Amino acid sequence: MPAAHRLTKLRKTIRLLRHPFVWGVGTGIVLLLLLRGANAVTATDGFCQSCHVHPQADASWRQSTHYTTKSGMVVHCVECHLPPGGVAYAAEKTRLGIRDVLGMVFKDRESFDWEARSQLEHASTFVFRESCLTCHPNLFPIELTDKGEEAHLHYERRADEMRCLNCHLQVGHFDPNAPDEIDFGLAETAGGEIYDAPAVVEAFDDYTEFIPGTTVSFDMVAIPGGTFQMGSPESEPYRREDEGPAHAVTVGSYWIGRVEVTWNEFEAWYSATRAEGRTDTRLMEAGIDAITGASPPYVPPDQGWGRGNRPAITMTHHAAVQYTRWLSEVTGKPYRLPTEAEWEYAARGGTETAYFFEGSPRQYTERRFRNRLFGRNTEVLDSYVIHAGNSASRTQLPTEVLPNPFGLVNMLGNVREFTLDWYAPDAYRDRAAGTPVVDPRGPDTGTEYAVRGGSFRSDPADLRSAARDRTRSTACLLTDPQIPKSIWWYSDCMDVGFRVVSAYEDEPPAGLRR
Amino acid sequence: MTDTSEHKDSPNRREFIETVGAIGAVGAVGALVAGCGRGVGDQYADYPWPPLLEQAPDGPVLRAGLIGCGGRGTGAALDFLAAGPNLEIVALADFFRDRLDNCRNRLREEGNVEVADENCFTGMEAYRQLVDTDVDIVLMATPPYFRPEHFEACVEARKHVFMEKPMAVDPVGARSVMASARKADGAGLCVVTGTQRRHEATYLQTFERVTRGAIGDIVGANCYWNGRVPWWRDRQSSWTDIEFMMRDWVNWTWLSGDHIVEQHVHNLDVVSWYLGDAHPEKAVGIGARWRRPSGDQYDSFSIDFTFEDDVHVHSMCRQISGCANNVSEMVRGTKGYTNCEDGIWKTDGTEVWQYPYENDEDGNPIRPQPYKQEHIDLVTAIRTNQPVNEAERTAVSTLIAIMGRISCYTGQEVTWDQMMESGLKLGPDVVTLGASPDLVRGVVPVPGTP
Repeated sequence: MPAAHRLTKLRKTIRLLRHPFVWGVGTGIVLLLLLRGANAVTATDGFCQSCHVHPQADASWRQSTHYTTKSGMVVHCVECHLPPGGVAYAAEKTRLGIRDVLGMVFKDRESFDWEARSQLEHASTFVFRESCLTCHPNLFPIELTDKGEEAHLHYERRADEMRCLNCHLQVGHFDPNAPDEIDFGLAETAGGEIYDAPAVVEAFDDYTEFIPGTTVSFDMVAIPGGTFQMGSPESEPYRREDEGPAHAVTVGSYWIGRVEVTWNEFEAWYSATRAEGRTDTRLMEAGIDAITGASPPYVPPDQGWGRGNRPAITMTHHAAVQYTRWLSEVTGKPYRLPTEAEWEYAARGGTETAYFFEGSPRQYTERRFRNRLFGRNTEVLDSYVIHAGNSASRTQLPTEVLPNPFGLVNMLGNVREFTLDWYAPDAYRDRAAGTPVVDPRGPDTGTEYAVRGGSFRSDPADLRSAARDRTRSTACLLTDPQIPKSIWWYSDCMDVGFRVVSAYEDEPPAGLRR
Repeated sequence: MTDTSEHKDSPNRREFIETVGAIGAVGAVGALVAGCGRGVGDQYADYPWPPLLEQAPDGPVLRAGLIGCGGRGTGAALDFLAAGPNLEIVALADFFRDRLDNCRNRLREEGNVEVADENCFTGMEAYRQLVDTDVDIVLMATPPYFRPEHFEACVEARKHVFMEKPMAVDPVGARSVMASARKADGAGLCVVTGTQRRHEATYLQTFERVTRGAIGDIVGANCYWNGRVPWWRDRQSSWTDIEFMMRDWVNWTWLSGDHIVEQHVHNLDVVSWYLGDAHPEKAVGIGARWRRPSGDQYDSFSIDFTFEDDVHVHSMCRQISGCANNVSEMVRGTKGYTNCEDGIWKTDGTEVWQYPYENDEDGNPIRPQPYKQEHIDLVTAIRTNQPVNEAERTAVSTLIAIMGRISCYTGQEVTWDQMMESGLKLGPDVVTLGASPDLVRGVVPVPGTP
């Protein structure tokens, strides 16, 4: 009897187990366990590094403050590179997983530019603020420095615009070139002859300028004046409205820097004139101190990419103008920024096409799906210009590329360049068609200056000789916590520099004959 | 020795009585704190009321040290000793030996406390030596210029703190206190800050009713500290520039923040409290120096603060004797108004509620004793392990006052954003008791000039 009873019970149990609902639940549990297991396996550092074998992933992480912590705790890949827990974690993991598998299968791994991906604009797409804050919920630990206090108060008030990475880019992967302290302007000048006099220029030829009292020199190229077509025809690919209408412009003769102003040149000014503290801008506007120097920068102005002969960046338009005034003072020559017309004339070097070299923007741009799918041949482009595709997301030395027909280097790339003119989208509108306009200038007043040329961050579509852009004063000072914000240094714009020009008059100014 | 040189502009008896009548239990230069409770937050009804016990609960001995041994500091030390059982004052620090000795004698006579020689510190580094002792609590009543630096040192040494308002004299200092306050939160420290209205049952019960809608939505407010000129000192020949200014500190902007910051911060704090611990978006003010006998401060300010939703708050303060006096607040809502202290009225003037005072033998209402209450609340928080930290919100109130002052000094509109990022720092980088001809010359700001 008990045996039969047990049998009945067993049968009942089996019947119950056959019920679809029970099957469903059971399968669900098994799947969950499998997923859990899969997640655990795929969340280890070893799993990540089975594909990410480059030193930027592993070695630099082991050297970072997130591996060698005071407490001996190690922070693992997924703790920063995936959002913490929950739906966001699963969604991001799925997205990244699919992307990485596709990348593994379809892309040439040798082509990945890991250096570029460690820069802020890339890093912020795969490092999550919530992950930072999960482990660092207290933004005001007792050890926090005064500078840190100010920075975190600043951050709290702009948490929707800023990320931890704005200031803490290198904490997860050590970068030996990222300076902790700003030694800007304090470095010894490179060895060599110290010039005691500026160049003597007696004819309209190329010359090398010497900055007296320093070892710094730079080349100026003579550009004979002429008439050219400024702006782009409506047929030009990726043309924007502000580049037209195309119109004839005549410019006088001038000299222009062969390369963009280098850190060596810019630091010569900074060291000679830098201010101990802030300068009252009202005094400067009144012209009381014509060549006031910059205050010390708030963050390393070279982004840790190195200085020397790389183009100087992150200075404000005001600082660039002050530089040219100082340079004029110490050399006795009338240096200034180029007008938009002078800039474009120099950039074109007699060409009327989109670039001064062969090829069409269509063929080079990454904005075309076709180019992304089938690849693009950028060999010619790469030989003349530093742009997003060959820059590793940073400025490069001018020796990396070939000059344009006038002998000028990187007119279209490396860094965008300030001009003397205010920016207006309709600046060309009223210029007479037919009769060439002589030495045109931008509007009388404005809020932002015209910026020309492309940079190490630009897509080839924006490297065209006619492309125009402007300064962005607010966005460029986002992380500067000072008020008034610095008038000398942008905290958030790292792709704008400038080059200098010196106008040639039939009767050269007295200074030129010194 | 220094008392011979101290002036008080003695009011006649009637003015004195009027003053006392007007300000109720509040009076006295440099008062104490209010409301325990970390961050009021948006939900007024959740405001964690200070328990307002008559005595702090018993517990292990708590040892306190006092930095700043003047009248207010000595008073704070005595209030602390009276707050409950097992409370000790074991260390003193002051810049000046004579001030410290006076305090030590008063503590001996009135508090029956003998502070050991080795725990008496004088000079510019005295505060640090005191913080390095094994005290549990630091009481601070130095000139406000020193508050940010001293508070930071206390937090780094993990000391509980009682400190007098205001929190700073400039934006850099106010933000330093905000940051140190966060650090104190993280370390579980208790901080009470001398805004004593928030520790008075009268104010607290009024506030509670307002948060429950007794006057509707707040549409505007006024606050006043119009009173007589405070004390000042004649310079003695043996004093250096800095020593003179420090002994005369309530008259020097870099040390006191000016009286809008040093004194009127009480009323601005109440308005900020009633508006939800809010801060203004901008301020425009006028102020002047008419009759002040010493220093470089103004003696009157009048400011229009604009808070969120275009709620305007008028703040007025004056330190000139012989004028109409008024120390009070008034907050107006869509349904009525309140004096914040003990009464609520409908818009038409009908009384809605009055605080039920008990009367003494002469039939006069018995008002709260907030100075001692603050220390009771501080010790209660420490002994019940329910940390309170008033530093950040008092830093906000302080910065509101600084904002008003800067607007009056410059004549310009000043925004909160500017205050949160301004690099303005007053006084010398390092204070040494020497000559400082630039500071002591006392240049009074002129609005509308660069």
